[in-house]
Amino acid sequence: MRNIFIIARRDLRAQFNSPVAYVVLGGTMLLLGVVFFLIPHISGVLAGSFWDVDRATMDQMFASLPLFLSVFVIPAVTMRSLAAEKGSGTLELLITMPVRDSEVILGKYLAALAMVLILLASTLLYPIAMFVWPWHLGALDWGPVWAGYLGCLCFSAAAVGVGMMLSSLTESDVVAFFMTLGALGVVYAIGWIVSVWHTDNATGSTLIDALGFISFQTRYAPFARGLIDTRAIVYFVSVTILCLLVSFRSLESRKWS
Amino acid sequence: MSNDVMIYANDLSKSFGSFRALDKINFEVKRGEIVGFLGPNGAGKSTTMRILTCFISPTGGSARVNGHDVFDAPLQVRESLGYLPQRAPLYLEMSVLEYLRFAGDLRHLSPDTFRTRAKSVVEVCGLAQVLGKEIKHLSHGYRQRVGLAQALIHDPPILILDEPTSDLDPNEKAEFLDYLKQIGEQRTVLLSTHNLAEVEASCARAIIVSRGRIVADGPLDEIRGKSGRVRYVVAIQESAGAGKYRGRGALPKKGEVEDALGKVDGVKKLSELPTDESAHAYELVSEQEVDLRPEIFKAIVDQGWVLLELHRDAQTLEDVFRSLTIGDERRNRQLGAPADGGADDEEDEEDDEDEAEDSDAEGSAADEKAAKEERS
Repeated sequence: MRNIFIIARRDLRAQFNSPVAYVVLGGTMLLLGVVFFLIPHISGVLAGSFWDVDRATMDQMFASLPLFLSVFVIPAVTMRSLAAEKGSGTLELLITMPVRDSEVILGKYLAALAMVLILLASTLLYPIAMFVWPWHLGALDWGPVWAGYLGCLCFSAAAVGVGMMLSSLTESDVVAFFMTLGALGVVYAIGWIVSVWHTDNATGSTLIDALGFISFQTRYAPFARGLIDTRAIVYFVSVTILCLLVSFRSLESRKWS
Repeated sequence: MSNDVMIYANDLSKSFGSFRALDKINFEVKRGEIVGFLGPNGAGKSTTMRILTCFISPTGGSARVNGHDVFDAPLQVRESLGYLPQRAPLYLEMSVLEYLRFAGDLRHLSPDTFRTRAKSVVEVCGLAQVLGKEIKHLSHGYRQRVGLAQALIHDPPILILDEPTSDLDPNEKAEFLDYLKQIGEQRTVLLSTHNLAEVEASCARAIIVSRGRIVADGPLDEIRGKSGRVRYVVAIQESAGAGKYRGRGALPKKGEVEDALGKVDGVKKLSELPTDESAHAYELVSEQEVDLRPEIFKAIVDQGWVLLELHRDAQTLEDVFRSLTIGDERRNRQLGAPADGGADDEEDEEDDEDEAEDSDAEGSAADEKAAKEERS
């Protein structure tokens, strides 16, 4: 247990010792601000800017957060966790310390997740600055905000798991970045197809329902509207566990290859 | 198995697909021994070390480190050893002190123990000047020292060092071997290298592996005698120059000398050594245990020639190494030959390493020659 935190602490510190953490944090905050306040509605992708809806709500932020997490934050945060260490050989030195493989995986997972949580926590600056201090743009209903953050947490947990898994399969951080980007992008695109279908067609379709079932986006949608969906929580947790198991096996496979 | 056996490998095998990196190797290392683990690249040195540190698992056989099985108790095995992998792969963005603290934390050292241990390893490895520096700003020599320091931080009874001197310059090498002697006083050390001069400088015993098998294992002197060939060097005066010729009859001609020496019983091979005008020098090779020097001396005296030099050479470790592992290199250069099984991720580097090995071998040959000249 202790080893997990030692490894996680080192990894998190390494993120902040490199430019990655600052680029990710700064870049996301900036782009999120631009999208949240300036970019108009794009069907299924972006919900429109805050001013378009004309209500005291953070819905628009939660609608666009998964896109940022999928295409930028999570690939960048997870790319180094295992791939770079395998490539540079530092993994050998880490694993030959008295630590279990599972502790290495969990430590690295927690570090990556912590990085994403730091980012999510810093997005709290938006509602605070807009509705608490220094501006008062209206009376914000905080319930949906917390639900949205819970959704983001679940979404991130699963997406970081996917990133870890793909990072464990390669030895190059660049490859890991693009594989994660591709995988999360596909999962996001599925959600977009489903939501576009639902706007255009009143009737359901088995295929679309099935696609919606595996899409992160569809699962996350209720949270963005302030609904806590326990089925989605179970889904995200299951995906996380599955991905961590695959990472663990992939790390272990070095012994037998 | 006695308590004194710190590393024990029994029929250890490892295959990577159809390539056998290790083929049933057996060896023991006792408490307090410094053992040189020798072999050409791709012979299975790193693979063996990775098995002993539980980084990879053997496909067959068993191994015990400090009495713990590598299958059943990998954590205990790792606790009792300090390991420095090839090229000291450290976290470059950390400072030396941070890195040592991280290693100490993972080894569960209390802050007090860490302080005393860190003080001692910093002293032994000479890191005091660079403690606050980031590892990426250090030279290879210093990185290697940091690698050694992290391996020593928990005061392990066993040290496993994989080519610790490959990236060092000659001064750093000499210093490193000095540390090793200090460190090895109370520890068991398994040191892999392909630099034979290092083994001769620091180890009393060597294990030579080739193509996944052990081809020699024992004290260095025993290994030197392994190939069973003895070399004699003879020099006979060819011209008296300005001085007076002390021999009987005429000065010897090349053919006569070759005839006479070739007739000595037990001489297998005769080859001329380069000399100036003043002497004929020959190298004789015998496969007999019996000392041939009296016979050679007598043959020369019978002819009435003047003997300038006669000595018997034990085989150098280098000769033995070459004769035992020859063919490996050729195999490595063949198209489609399997790369180093121990490091499939390092295929690209294989060629570089081969070249490095060549130059190393030549370097050490030159060293030895220089040393010999000094002695004589």
